[in-house]
Order: sequence, then structure tokens, then C-alpha cells
Amino acid sequence: MNVYLRELRAYRKSTITWVISLAGIVGLFMMLYPAFESDVEGLNEVLANFPQAIKSLVNITPETFLSVLGFYGYLLNFAWLAASIQAMNLGVGVISKEVAGKTADFLITRPVRRAQVVTAKLAAALTVVLITSAVFTAVSYLAVVATGASLDEATLLLMASTLLLLQIVFLALGALFSVTIPKIKSVVAVSLPTVFAFYIIGAIGDVLENVELRWVSPFRYFDPAYMIGEGALESEYLLVIAVFTVAAIAATYVIFAKKDIHTAI
Amino acid sequence: MEPRMNVIETRKLTKYYGKSRGIVDLDMTVEEGEIYGFIGPNGAGKSTTIRTLLGLIHPTGGSATIFGKDITAFGPQIRQEVGYLPSEVFYYDDMRAIDLLRYSASFYSTDPKATEKRAKELAERFDLDLKKKIDDLSYGNKKKVGIIQGLAHRPKLIILDEPTGGLDPLIQQEFFHLLKEQNAEGATVLFSSHILSEVQKLCDRVAIIKEGSIIRVDQIRTLLENATKRLTLEMAAQPDASDFALKGVSDLEFTNHTVSFLYRGHVNDLTGLLSRLDLVDLQVEEPDLEEIFLHYYQKEV
Amino acid sequence: MNVFLREMKAHRWGLLFWSLGMIMMIYSGMAKYGAYEAAGESVTAILEQMPDTVQVVFGMTGFDLGTAAGFYGMLFLYLAVMGAVHASLLGAHLIAKEERDHTSEFLYAKPASRSRVLTGKLLAGLVNIVVLNLVTAASSFYFVDLFNRDEPFGGDIALLMVGLFFLQLIFFAIGAAVAGISRKPKSAASRATSIMFGTFLLFYVVNLNKDLGVLKYFTPFKYFEAGVLMADGALDPVFVGLSVVIVALAIAGTYRAYSARDLAI
Repeated sequence: MNVYLRELRAYRKSTITWVISLAGIVGLFMMLYPAFESDVEGLNEVLANFPQAIKSLVNITPETFLSVLGFYGYLLNFAWLAASIQAMNLGVGVISKEVAGKTADFLITRPVRRAQVVTAKLAAALTVVLITSAVFTAVSYLAVVATGASLDEATLLLMASTLLLLQIVFLALGALFSVTIPKIKSVVAVSLPTVFAFYIIGAIGDVLENVELRWVSPFRYFDPAYMIGEGALESEYLLVIAVFTVAAIAATYVIFAKKDIHTAI
Repeated sequence: MEPRMNVIETRKLTKYYGKSRGIVDLDMTVEEGEIYGFIGPNGAGKSTTIRTLLGLIHPTGGSATIFGKDITAFGPQIRQEVGYLPSEVFYYDDMRAIDLLRYSASFYSTDPKATEKRAKELAERFDLDLKKKIDDLSYGNKKKVGIIQGLAHRPKLIILDEPTGGLDPLIQQEFFHLLKEQNAEGATVLFSSHILSEVQKLCDRVAIIKEGSIIRVDQIRTLLENATKRLTLEMAAQPDASDFALKGVSDLEFTNHTVSFLYRGHVNDLTGLLSRLDLVDLQVEEPDLEEIFLHYYQKEV
Repeated sequence: MNVFLREMKAHRWGLLFWSLGMIMMIYSGMAKYGAYEAAGESVTAILEQMPDTVQVVFGMTGFDLGTAAGFYGMLFLYLAVMGAVHASLLGAHLIAKEERDHTSEFLYAKPASRSRVLTGKLLAGLVNIVVLNLVTAASSFYFVDLFNRDEPFGGDIALLMVGLFFLQLIFFAIGAAVAGISRKPKSAASRATSIMFGTFLLFYVVNLNKDLGVLKYFTPFKYFEAGVLMADGALDPVFVGLSVVIVALAIAGTYRAYSARDLAI
């Protein structure tokens, strides 16, 4: 409990910054929706003249892209990226911060099992991620409902919840990195390139319509068009998330339990 | 008299870092209530032994117990009663000294309030301002924080890894007093150092570690009786080698009017010898560890 | 020279990965254009008929999306973000690492002035930036050419690469200044990237809301906006001047602050 509380306190400031940034992204985009909506009327007429094949290539269909949820789905892309960076930062920092700050000696010589340390730190990171996602969902709901557009609220909440799922994946990946990459000196120098790499892989998979690459990049696990159309998430990707998260977290515990903490010099 | 319990007992404890040696087949027994010195040059394996005992690194062979409990299976229970002070102290730079001590206290099953009270007493004794950020403290003051966090929970076993660096002589003395007090109250102390005089001042028994193994364990008294001293004499006249034919003299060297030699034996015999000489200057030095290894242990082991 | 060489060596892997990321990004972007191209004129016709708000949201204002160069212009913003993240991390990292790794005592006990060390580090950073810029330029020429149909594009890309270089310099200098001035070496990298993302968000705000046009001076992304550069065929002298001032101030500030302040040990 003491380690958990100390971690939460240490994350206080950065959590506030992240939450405000994410809420800002939602607010900023949704403020634009009314103007977008009136423009869309005209666009729908233009679109009606194009064959279906081309519309699907550009990913534009009136019911998904040009609805309020479609618009929200677009901004979700940015929120995913930001939230993943936050979660990855948390994960990578879990153990590496103690090692890099040379405080691991202090912590590990207390009467606690290493597993307890990992549990406390992961729980704190998870709490931060939950708070972030909860605020994001609430702000999303308010901002989208405020546009006055008609929408399926359950689908909106489902879409907002993908933020948490992505955060959990990157939190687990970060935690695994924190015990496997030797000498992480700067957390962002590890987390930013990693998240970007997955983002780019996702973009390439998108262009190539490559199904294998879709499995590799978590950014491609949730397709806004599918969520809006079906009102559900694709279960095979949920399974991948569950399996990966459990495996990564388990590996984090096992590797850290066996790891040598080297002299503080 | 009932035999005392072994607080630390290692059996063929071995640690390799990949292919490079840490410690090899190390056997060590520290009895309850003693102050056990652990001495050797840099790289001999002192820190490796201590870090293995504390569970910071994992042995590659052999085993060890503390309070009769296996170190790998019962790490947390063992550390409940252990206090540790490393040679280099690093703490969370966003904390004040008092925050760190409270955080430390929160880990132990002893009442955190009592531990905090004890920490404050110790801070007063060492003249440490607990309100300051650890980051802003001097090296010596950080070290004081280290001492307090290691002792505040009244551990039964105190492990110190070359702890005196950065402490001025007065603080060092106060620190040694404190260790003796804790020892008198029943705490066992494992004290690692590469400074012989420090160990002589404090310890009951001393183990000498060389290249990863303990090569000798002695009572300090035995060590003192057998203490080797290096003497350098400045003579008024050209010295005569026959004057120095005394049991215990070795490594005799002449340079013009200067004579230097190692002496091990009764001090009275030595003063007898010196009184017959016409001296200009006299210097008596404690030989450094290297010399002990070369001239003392090489012959005996 | 010794400091320069050491930093070059320390960053070679990072530079390689960033270069690969850049190449993949350009490839995936241009491959998307290739897919649109293959579907015929009509796709780009749809995109071009999108209303203003839609175009702003998707970052495609002011481009002739029917040409490879125009499409590349839309992609440029993402390359700029990559370059800016790289430069921010690099600048902050180069300066902060000695204090963070507790090697400043070692380094400054040597007979080297702080400004000499700083010069070695900044030069190493500059070389890294130039290399990344050249890799970006070369792969841009290659991939745009691959999908191009006889329209001239060399001038546009060359101009955009100059713009990218200015952006890189600005964020490199800001990163260095943050690390040089701040006494918290551990948070230098995350502060520098926060500033960078902040200005990026501001870029969006300015684009979305015309009333806030005056804020454009506060976001370097606006100085070298691809659509404007390509339309004008030249850099805006005001923004170039502003960039030079920012870089000069940041570098001068780095030298002054870093030479004058107490280093964390």
C-alpha cells in the first residue's frame, strides 16, 4: 500500500496534464462538429454520385464517416496515440525508474517481495490509466451529446472505452520493456519511438490492406466503422489483447523476480 | 555456555556475473551478537556477498541462511529484521529526508510511529535537518540519512558495506558509538571495509576475503597481537644490518641512512632494539592490506 | 572533437531507427496515394470536393491531391511531427545525459570548458539532424517519383525539406535549451516533447479557428506549413527570420545557462 500511494503521488502532476490534454483533444474537435455537420449535407449529395467501390476505398460512407460518431471515431485516432504514449510512459517507468534513479537498492532491501513491488507499481499505473479513461469517456459523452446530433449512446461509450483497452496493452508492453531492456535512462526515449513504430506499422497495414499487419499494431484493433456498424468490438482482437496483456504482465513478474540489481554506481 | 546462534551462515555461496567471478564457494559464519568485520581490497567480493545476502542479486551456487532462514525463500521475512547501509546512497530526489524516513518506516511491521520517533532521535544526534530535500543535502548528510534509514527500525542484523566514506571523523566516531550501542542491545553487525584500522576499532572478529573467497578468519585480538608494522628509521650514522637481527623483522631494506622493515612480534622487543640505535627520525606505519596479504597471509595460509 | 565523436557513436542506432521510421512513413503514405491513383481520378475528386471544415480536420487544405506531390504535401505534416519529436528528444538528451547519469563530475573535472563540451554535443546533434533530413529527402524523392505521372515535383520537395530542416533546428534548439536551463535532468526530455506537442496542438487550434490566426507565431508548424509553401513556391521571410531568432536565442540561452549554473551531480 505504501509503494502504491507513493507511486500515485509521484504521478499526480503528469496525470493532470494528460487528462487535460485528452479532454482538450475531444473538446477541440467536437466544437468543430456543428460547422462540419452543415457542410456534410452538401457532401452527401456529391457522394451520392460516386460508385460504392470508390467510397469504400476512401473509407467514407455517410452512415459511418459523416455521422457524429464517425467524426468522433476520427478524433479517437489522435486520442489513442496520446493515451498510448501516456500508458507506455507509465509502463516503462515501472521498474526502470528505480534502477535508473539508483533507488532500487533502497526499495529491494526493505522487507517486501519483489512481486509485491511490481503489483503495487502496476496497480498505481492502472489506477492512473483508469482515471484518465474515465475522464476521457465522461468528456467524450458530454461533448458528443452537446452537439445535439442523434446517436447511439451505447456505441459512443463503447468507442470511448477502446482508449482504456489500448492503454492496458501499452502499459503491459511498457512494463515488460522496463524489466527486459537493460539500463533505460530516459523513459520517453523508449516509449515515444515504440508507440510511433506501432502507429506507422498500423498505417502501413492499413494502406496495404494487409491482415497480418493488422494483428501486429494495436492501433488497428478497433475499427470505428465496425464499431459504429455493429455496435461491438471485434472479439478476436479482444482475445489478442487479453492474451498479450496476461503474458506480458506474467513475464514482467518472472523476469523481475530473477533479475540482479547491480551496484549503485 | 550455550553455543550462540549463527545469524549468517553461508555454504559454498557462489556468484558469477556471466563468466566473471563474484564470489566462489564462500563459507562464512556470523554469530549472534558479534561485530563481524569483512575486509578485503576492491573487487575481492565484499559487495557481491552482501548484495547476495540482501537478495539484490541471486546466487549462482551454494546457499545461505540469515536467522536460520534461507535467503532466497524467505527474503522479505529476513529483511524485516535487517538494516542496510550501502557505500553510495541514492534516494528519491523529490523527497525530503523526513519523507524518505517515513517511507522507509512504512515497510516494517514494527510500529511506524515508533520507527519515526527513533529516526528523529537519531537525526538530532547526527545534527541532520530532516526538512531539507535529499537532493540538496551534501554527500555526508545524505550518508546520515542512509545511517538513519538503516537503523531506525532497530534491526537485529545491521549490514554495512564500506559505510564510512564521506563521514567526517567526528560523525564517524558518533556512528561507531551508535553501532556499539545497538550491538550492546543485541544487534549483530556485519561490517565490510577495506580500511584495517576501522575494522580494528569496531570489530570482534574479522574475515579476510581475497579473490572471491574468505582466506582467513581471526579474532581482532589475535590480529592485533600479530599485527605487522612498517618501520622507517632515519639513522645518524650508516646503519649496520646486524643490529636488526631480531625475530619478527622482515623485508629489511637499506637506503643510505634510511632503514625500513616490517615487524611482527612483541612491542617490548622492538623498543629494546630501537633504544640501542642512534635515531634521527622514526616512523611507524600500519601496513596497507596489500602488505598484509603479501607478508603475513602468504606465509601462513 | 572527442565529445563530438562520442555523441555520434552513442546516437548511431537511434539515428538508424528514426531513419527507418521516416522511410516507412513516407512509403506507407505514398502507397496510399498509389491506391487512390489506381482507382482513377474520381477518388481525388471526392477528396477535393470535401467542404472546408472536413479538409481542415483531415489536414488536406490547399493541396492538389490529384498529384503525387500534392498528396505528399498532406503527408508532410506527419513527417514534420516525426522530425520534431526526434529533434526535441535529441536536444534534451544530449545536454541532460551527463547530469542524469552522474557523469558530469567526470566530464567537467577534465580540462574542458563547458562551452567546448556543449559545442561538441550540439555539432553531433546537428549532424544527426542533417542525416535524418537527407534520408527523408532522398526517400521522399524516391517514393514520390515512384507514383508520379510526369508532373514536376523536385522543387516542391526541396522546399519542404528546407522547411523540415528549420523545424528540426527549432525543436532541437528548444530541447537543448530546456535541458541546459533546467536543473532537473530526468524530466528534460519529457518537458521538451511536451512543448513540441503543445505547439502541434496549437497548430490545429489555429487551423480550426480563423479568429485565433495571431497565435500562428507561437507554433513553428505554422511557419512551414506544406500547403502554403507549395502555393507560394518560397519560404515566408518573416517566418524564416523568426525561426533564426528562436534558434539563436535558444542556443545562446543554452550556452549561457549551462555555463553559469551549478550542475547536478
